[in-house]
Amino acid sequence: MARILFDGVTKRFGQVVAVDRLDLEIRNREFVVLLGPSGCGKTTTLNMIAGLEDLSEGDLWFDHQIVNFMPPHKRDVAMVFQSYALYPHKSVYDNIAFGLRMRGHRRGDIEHRVREAAERLHIEHLLDRKPNQLSGGQRQRVALGRAMVRQPAVFLMDEPLSNLDAVLRISMRAEIKHLHQAMQTTFVYVTHDQAEALTLADRIVVMRDGVIQQVGGPEEIYERPRNMFVASFLGSPPINYLEGTLAEEAGRLVFRRGALEMPLREGTAVGAPVDGGRAVVLGIRPEDVDERIAAETASIRARIDSVLPIGSDEYLGMRVEGVDCFFRVGKEVRHREGEIITLGLNPARLHLFDPQTGDALLR
Amino acid sequence: MAAPALPGLAPTHRYRARSRSGAIARAALLFAGCTLLLAYLLGPVVWLVSSSIQTEAEIVSIPPHWIPDNPTLENFRAIFLAGEEEVTYDTRAQADPVSGGYIPSTASNLLPAMQNSLIVSLAVVGLNLLVGVPAAYALAKIRFRGRQGSIYLILTTRVIPDIALVVPLFLMIRKLGLLDDLRSLIITYLAITVPFTVFILVSYFESLPDDLDKAARVDGCSRLQALLRVFLPLAVPSLVAVVLFALLTSWNEFLLALMFTQTPAAQTLPIVVASFTSDFTISFSFINAAGVVAIVPPVILAVFFQRYLVSGLTAGAVKG
Repeated sequence: MARILFDGVTKRFGQVVAVDRLDLEIRNREFVVLLGPSGCGKTTTLNMIAGLEDLSEGDLWFDHQIVNFMPPHKRDVAMVFQSYALYPHKSVYDNIAFGLRMRGHRRGDIEHRVREAAERLHIEHLLDRKPNQLSGGQRQRVALGRAMVRQPAVFLMDEPLSNLDAVLRISMRAEIKHLHQAMQTTFVYVTHDQAEALTLADRIVVMRDGVIQQVGGPEEIYERPRNMFVASFLGSPPINYLEGTLAEEAGRLVFRRGALEMPLREGTAVGAPVDGGRAVVLGIRPEDVDERIAAETASIRARIDSVLPIGSDEYLGMRVEGVDCFFRVGKEVRHREGEIITLGLNPARLHLFDPQTGDALLR
Repeated sequence: MAAPALPGLAPTHRYRARSRSGAIARAALLFAGCTLLLAYLLGPVVWLVSSSIQTEAEIVSIPPHWIPDNPTLENFRAIFLAGEEEVTYDTRAQADPVSGGYIPSTASNLLPAMQNSLIVSLAVVGLNLLVGVPAAYALAKIRFRGRQGSIYLILTTRVIPDIALVVPLFLMIRKLGLLDDLRSLIITYLAITVPFTVFILVSYFESLPDDLDKAARVDGCSRLQALLRVFLPLAVPSLVAVVLFALLTSWNEFLLALMFTQTPAAQTLPIVVASFTSDFTISFSFINAAGVVAIVPPVILAVFFQRYLVSGLTAGAVKG
């Protein structure tokens, strides 16, 4: 059990600031996902929790203790690596038992715990093998087992699934979620895969260039992104952005770009005053369009450039007022390239951003 | 199944089978090349061993006898029992100059010299590991200011030829009062071998993934434990290479040993063997017998270690 608190933590590598004045509380038993592109400081943050990197500034708390310079072997943390980092010269059994041996557990206790973990992960039959005799998925399980047996206060995972194939990745996601429920301990999980983050997290921390962009539940992050970076990082294909102007007409806010005219929902409030129009960026998620409601609501009319079926749905590539956009539509209606269609927009699900700062205008 | 020949084209089978005569010619050429190389490499060693059991008269016969007509162990008897026979001008004058069989006056120094060589070599190997292994781990896995610079600096010491260092080293050794002392050799051989040891091990440790180090430390290892329990077992092939290098360097070193040692108390094998050429008379067969004795320990070690030189132990540490 542990609560982790970053209090103004900065990490510099020479001139490069990897993590910049990080303030973050990870609650006890919470599943927190650190999400961001490579080089955003998420792995550095994880390594600082593990004690593998020193802090340049600030304090790191475990419960009521500052642990800035506590070495990793004194912290009650376990870690799963992207590369698995199994000890190649040790058998699976010894790999899993190693952490317990180093902490001076009794032989019987070690045996019991290793067998139990192996059973849970369905790797009992592999205990005598060496890591190089295992498949990627099996190595992944051994790595999980090695972290699990210790029953640590904090469980750290650094992109543990990115070396697995797509099918295995989905099933391991579910297993990791179960593991969290069963272990009742704090999980910190690093990934650049937004789908993984949305599936697993109690809370997601979106990072960029060492700075936290937004912290919140998966739904909050996806539905109410605080800025353009967060909005475009989650969702696949990414959110469509249309630059345009916002003006007040007859008590109602209207977005315009060329021939496109989009009245916003009544009562929509924008942070800054709108006098005679201001530049904004309109964000439309690919799935927030519907052909069937085109008649009743604000709509986009454009020619289909490409049709990309994905089995369950179709993506349509369209050029809207000079901007390439992607939209997702159901497969009930078959579309053809060159066809001109009208897509209705749900005004409740539009996003507006300030083009200068990138911050969201609607709250 | 019938050959799926394209319409209008006759099927050709030119590449169906490898030409038999060509294959034989290739194999023959390869075999001849190997034989030549083997003869080049092993020739001197075979001659060394063969002539060590020949009499002085036979050794100079033309054409040389690769297989001796009258094999004798006289030279080896002299080496191991030399201490009991005193060689002076008088005893030497009584020997038969035609049959040879001269035992050098310094023959009794050979076994003590071998012991000296052994002490120096083992000490150098042990200290190499003691200093080189932690140094290499630190340079490979711990980030600190001047890390890269240190590696280059260590390497730079190896581009200076030993001969350039002989005089300064001699002065230092004399100042330390270690002339004609085995410690002078141990110290200077360390200066030669440690940079190489560190360099080899650094590049090996660097090739092991950082995650392995991190995993060990999160699993409860201190830095030292991570080194001893995870990195060392994986580094066995490199350690063997390093041990052999340090051992052979110290075992064979001549220049520094010649400068720093004067008496049998500290002289090593190469010095004593070389001294046989400046005796009253030169016995080639005895020198060769001494040579055989000198190469036995390294050969035994090489045979013993060669199975550890197989690498590939790290395969599977990290998914590629």
